[in-house]
Amino acid sequence: MEKYSIMEIIKTNALIKDYSLGKVKVRALSGIELSIDSGEFVAIMGPSGSGKSTLMHIIGCLDSPTEGEYYLDGDLVSELPKKALADIRNRKIGFVFQSFNLLPHLNILKNVELPLMYSGISTRQRRDKARYILDSVGLSDRLKHKPNELSGGQRQRVAIARAIVNDPFILLADEPTGNLDTQAGGDILEIFAQLHKAGHTVIMVTHDPKVAERADRIIQIQDGLIANGHLA
Amino acid sequence: MAISLSESLYIGISDILTRKLRSLITILGIVLGVMCIMVVLAIISGMNASTMEWMNERGGVNKIQIWRNWDYDFRQGGSATLSLSELNQLRQQIPEAVAINPSVAINDAKLQYRGFSYRGAVLGVFPDMQIVENWYPQQGRFVSEIDLRENSNVIVLGSSVARDLFKGQNPMGRRIMVQGQILEVIGIMDSKNWENPGGGPWSGNMLEYMNQQCFVPLSTMMHKLKAGSEISSLQVTAKNPEDALNLQNKINMLLLRIKNGRAVFRVSSAQEMMQQMKQNSLIFTTIFIMIGAISLFVGGIVIMNIMLASIKERTREIGVRLAIGAHRMDIFVQFMVQTVLITALGGILGIILGYLILDLVSGYLQMPMLAEPRMILVALLVSVGVGLIFGITPAIKASNLDPVVALREE
Ligand SMILES: Nc1ncnc2c1ncn2[C@@H]1O[C@H](COP(=O)(O)OP(=O)(O)OP(=O)(O)O)[C@@H](O)[C@H]1O
Ligand SMILES: [Mg+2]
Repeated sequence: MEKYSIMEIIKTNALIKDYSLGKVKVRALSGIELSIDSGEFVAIMGPSGSGKSTLMHIIGCLDSPTEGEYYLDGDLVSELPKKALADIRNRKIGFVFQSFNLLPHLNILKNVELPLMYSGISTRQRRDKARYILDSVGLSDRLKHKPNELSGGQRQRVAIARAIVNDPFILLADEPTGNLDTQAGGDILEIFAQLHKAGHTVIMVTHDPKVAERADRIIQIQDGLIANGHLA
Repeated sequence: MAISLSESLYIGISDILTRKLRSLITILGIVLGVMCIMVVLAIISGMNASTMEWMNERGGVNKIQIWRNWDYDFRQGGSATLSLSELNQLRQQIPEAVAINPSVAINDAKLQYRGFSYRGAVLGVFPDMQIVENWYPQQGRFVSEIDLRENSNVIVLGSSVARDLFKGQNPMGRRIMVQGQILEVIGIMDSKNWENPGGGPWSGNMLEYMNQQCFVPLSTMMHKLKAGSEISSLQVTAKNPEDALNLQNKINMLLLRIKNGRAVFRVSSAQEMMQQMKQNSLIFTTIFIMIGAISLFVGGIVIMNIMLASIKERTREIGVRLAIGAHRMDIFVQFMVQTVLITALGGILGIILGYLILDLVSGYLQMPMLAEPRMILVALLVSVGVGLIFGITPAIKASNLDPVVALREE
């Protein structure tokens, strides 16, 4: 229910992320203050190396900040046990990558089933669910194909299906159209727009201003800091 | 929550199937190790079983034998025979013996019945021979104490002698001529038969020579058939296998004393032979088990390294799995199960190959071999154990990967 109510679902306080390369310290994020409401469609833009992916990884509970606080759905993530983080990644968040990140030796049905498998859903149920989701992204005729037998756009649709199959309320997409041509990129964007309409919170990194235009809000990141915070 | 074991097994099996050739190479060491251990165990248990069988057929594990010591230099004096009084002297000092059978043999005696004749061994014995050899008449009776006291002219025939000398007639009660003496047939011994399970150069009934022997009372032999002869061999039965070794030593000492310190006799026991056999097979076993263990160890190291390489190659996959909600435990179990599956598969292949080799080898060498079902279990457990031991490091490494680093990996 809560995913349809207007509320702050993501909130960060002075997020800092340092990487140490030997003796040299690289500051990827240097004090991110971010607030995203449930149901928002946010685009994140910024030059290469500005810290967009780093921020996405922290929001996606794949990485933890060096300093600062991150509240997800009201929980202070740094205080959650590791197991809980895995469950959050499994159920609350769907991640879509620029390079698809499908498992090459599994057919696309199995790829989409994976998150359901890790949440302990029975073989039958997850097959039905995965089929249904793949059908909704227009790939019901490719279930037994391996990822390398699909086009880039199709692969990204599989990745989206995998990201949403477990009904997460947040969708994170890190340059999802970066490896696609305009046509395929447009199709993918359309799917995100629909998911947003259906109530998902969508956070998307992109370099393309045209893509960003579809969002409710654009967040500009520069040198690990938010350069604007206004609604688009 | 972590995924179920059947799920992990499923992932493991499909992983192995998508990497067939690599999996096959990976398990080679395990296959060889398991095969090696299995073949050796089968050969040893086969040898032990047939030796035991042989010993039981030849009077059992409590038997002690005394005969001429071929290592003794008889130019130094003495003879490898016992007089009756020397025998009695010995007998009185070993009351713990269950049975004693001294014997005097004529190895090439001529037996005649009507027009027919037969050449074979005739032995003068005690009634105790039945106990010592665990061998009894199938018909009639054996030499008795009374026969012994009265130097009776009686004879018990081996089954082959009865058949060949009497050409189908019933020998019981007939009189035959042996070394100029007329002897009455009072019994026919059970037929002895033992074939080496492997066959080959030792095929056929290895105990046929016993069926060609005849028995008379020792006294009849020493006074009538071979007058003036002395006892040339002695067999004693101990109460149990433990006593057998003690009794063997005691008899050895007593004989040395009787023969004034001359080691004219050699005293041996079934126990001694068995111990020797066990020791020989122990050395053999140890060597081959070591070879097996080394190849298992090497196989384990190989598997560990291939798994480590495979994890390096699959870093991104692991990152993806973590990103979509796999617990570290899931990743650990995934790779653990995979390693154990591979080694178990190696174990099974090793067992199958072992059986094939046993089949082949026992056909060629005509050696008895026994592959017991217990060995399959052992082989399987060992290969699973190797998987568990050598799978831990790769599995820990995989489950400790940082998802972000793993995802950035190209
Ligand atoms: N594992 C790491 N170790 C060291 N430095 C890192 C690591 N990951 C990222 N960085 C650094 O952190 C900074 C931010 O990287 P990030 O990937 O977040 O940039 P980005 O905005 O996503 O860039 P792009 O648009 O090219 O994807 C960069 O300077 C990068 O070199
Ligand atoms: Mg990036």
